[in-house]
Amino acid sequence: MTSLWLKISAALPPNEEQFPLTFSDKVPLSVVEMLKLARKQLYGNTTSASQILNAQIIVDYSWERLNMGTWRDVDKEWRRVYSYGCLFKAVALCRENPLEEEILQAIRTCDMALLMGAAIMENLLQVIVCILQTGIRKLAKEEDNSENIEAKKRRIASPHVGLIKEDLSVPRIKCPSLESFSANHLLPLKPVILEGIIDHWPAFNKHPWSIEYLRSVAGCRTVPVEVGSRYTDEDWSQTLLTVNEFIDKYILNKIPELKEDIRIPDYCCLGEGDEDDITVNAWFGPQGTVSPLHQDPQQNFLAQVVGSKYIRLYSPEDTAKLYPHDSQLLHNTSQVEVENPDAERFPEFVKAPYQECVLQPGDVLFIPVKHWHYVRSLEVSFSVSFWWS
Amino acid sequence: MRWFGFGFNAFTQTYVQEKSGEEDSCSSEREVKVSVPVELHSHALRGRISASWSRTASLFLDQDQCVYLAGFCASISSGSSGPVTVDTSGCKDAIISETHLSLAFPDRIESWDLQSKNEAPSWRMEINTQSENSDLKLPLVPGGYISSKSPVFHSLSSHLQAKSLALGGEHAVLLTVAGAVYTWGQGSHGQLGHGGLVPEEEPRTVEALWGMSMRSVAAGGWHSICIGDGGDLYVWGWNESGQLGLPSRGLRKTSQQKTDPQEAFLTEPPSKVSTCLGEELHEEVFISIQAFPALVDVSPPCEIRTVSCGSRHTAAVTTTGCLYTWGWGEYGQLGHQTTTSLDEPQCVEFFSSQNLHVVDVVCGPWNTFTAAVKKEVH
Repeated sequence: MTSLWLKISAALPPNEEQFPLTFSDKVPLSVVEMLKLARKQLYGNTTSASQILNAQIIVDYSWERLNMGTWRDVDKEWRRVYSYGCLFKAVALCRENPLEEEILQAIRTCDMALLMGAAIMENLLQVIVCILQTGIRKLAKEEDNSENIEAKKRRIASPHVGLIKEDLSVPRIKCPSLESFSANHLLPLKPVILEGIIDHWPAFNKHPWSIEYLRSVAGCRTVPVEVGSRYTDEDWSQTLLTVNEFIDKYILNKIPELKEDIRIPDYCCLGEGDEDDITVNAWFGPQGTVSPLHQDPQQNFLAQVVGSKYIRLYSPEDTAKLYPHDSQLLHNTSQVEVENPDAERFPEFVKAPYQECVLQPGDVLFIPVKHWHYVRSLEVSFSVSFWWS
Repeated sequence: MRWFGFGFNAFTQTYVQEKSGEEDSCSSEREVKVSVPVELHSHALRGRISASWSRTASLFLDQDQCVYLAGFCASISSGSSGPVTVDTSGCKDAIISETHLSLAFPDRIESWDLQSKNEAPSWRMEINTQSENSDLKLPLVPGGYISSKSPVFHSLSSHLQAKSLALGGEHAVLLTVAGAVYTWGQGSHGQLGHGGLVPEEEPRTVEALWGMSMRSVAAGGWHSICIGDGGDLYVWGWNESGQLGLPSRGLRKTSQQKTDPQEAFLTEPPSKVSTCLGEELHEEVFISIQAFPALVDVSPPCEIRTVSCGSRHTAAVTTTGCLYTWGWGEYGQLGHQTTTSLDEPQCVEFFSSQNLHVVDVVCGPWNTFTAAVKKEVH
């Protein structure tokens, strides 16, 4: 696969002198020495085994530093070092006519850097991982038209009629103006479902999100996965899987290609933050996945792309009736099982007023900052959340 | 007494192999990962070793009492990595971190910044040669202890009556004269042993060990060990590579698929945060964080004499002269001729096969150093 190496070489700086390696004095000289050695080897004639060995040393040491302190405290320099280590390793893996297994390992390595490292050399790792993906035989499938039609069908014939009490339902509005959304919902912090505002997303039109499409675009990529029916369970955990592994294991039955299929809602401009400060997350999971009642410190637009979710909302004014956990880690989470509350332990809960809805494909729910929300997916579901301030 | 070293050697801090004329940059895996103990020839004396990630500091107590540095020495010599002498005559104790070398003399304590070219120590403290504190081992100093991050000096209340102190990656384990254990620092991986994951700013007693007298403590990157009076071993903290000697899920997965070990750890769900002391495990339960002290069985049953921790591995010497190692083994730091990690203590066969009786062990973050003497023939 020498054409793969040619593309990678073209993406890298042309020579050692133009390859930047500067770090603050937080990084010991011994580590900088290792990094310089790796850079030298990159442009020299050493075996790829030797290069991988050196890169792995950098990855191992910086990984240990990443595990010190809370994630918030981790020095950005160590995340950069980790990214450099992964870069050297991924490139070394693909140097000498790599097999498919080695390319996959290189992709995994890039993904680890994208997940835990910090951007280096103008997001070079993102460029490299895209090149590597072209080196893997894709399960190229055309958009399945029948799936497309089925998605539209679901929108028209709502299968969840009767599930929501009319007088408690979250109000719906179609394509409000910025002014009216701001005046009627954002400033008074009132939840609302916005209809029709994401119809233009390629995720609905050009590249309708289906399982086959996800496999072809992102199948070999590694993503964090939450395992367990709810995150307050004792056996809940997080793990890392490739999208293929996740689909195989849980559906079947931090990827930017998928980002091209969605757009940031205009209403986010009403906030004070930059567009760069908006956190976009994609949530993909099977029927029955529950997010226990919790609150977030930012405004949230929850956009539903595939499948539907039952959502209940409680105002922050009623926080006392929701019995949040005492501990520092979980104080933004309620102890109550919303759809099966323990009336003895949590007597006030039933008195707390709420709103509820079933979020369908094409709907966007505005969850005001600190508004308590509980989510249960009614079928295989793919949503995108936008956290903004 | 003879010293041996094994494990991470990318800076030739463990031992120097003869180069066959190739460039330094072409280190082979065999040179970087020394997985069988190699004798440190210059150490055939009574001495002490301290190791950081990229360097080893050796102190010879018999001869001129000087400290010799090996490994990464870019700021001390002109770039070659041979053993270099720092003017340290009369030194009686030394510990080294990635950035600093701390030296204890009869009349003073000094801390040297290894990254600068200064001719003077970056921190210094006079001590009273008459005081009974003179037998304190670094990092303990009269009135407190020193660390390599600023501030250097931390005071410790005298009522604690500190006997020895082990500094881990981001926590501290203190042993008092009375045999009690105190811990403080970060607790996110259970390394404080109080049953939770919260940090402690001040020394807090490990209540689970109350009533039992401990004789020795050690601390690794994210784990803590202590030896009871009867020679039994108590462990707590992170077990992602089996460094506690308790079943580790991450290791089982790695042995099944040949994946990146670091990724295998992240793939391992924290299956159990164990909160019981000495719980009988009837079925296989994996432990990734042990937040309370647990007893570790070394088999065959034996009495532990001394223990030391690396970043993610542990080494223990028995009273019968055997060395056991377990935990992360990726760089050969367990000394079993492989780079496999283990979650069960395993004897290092090399020493018995060479008729050597192990008497001491000191771990660097990714390597291990042992002192041994020839076995007496009965």
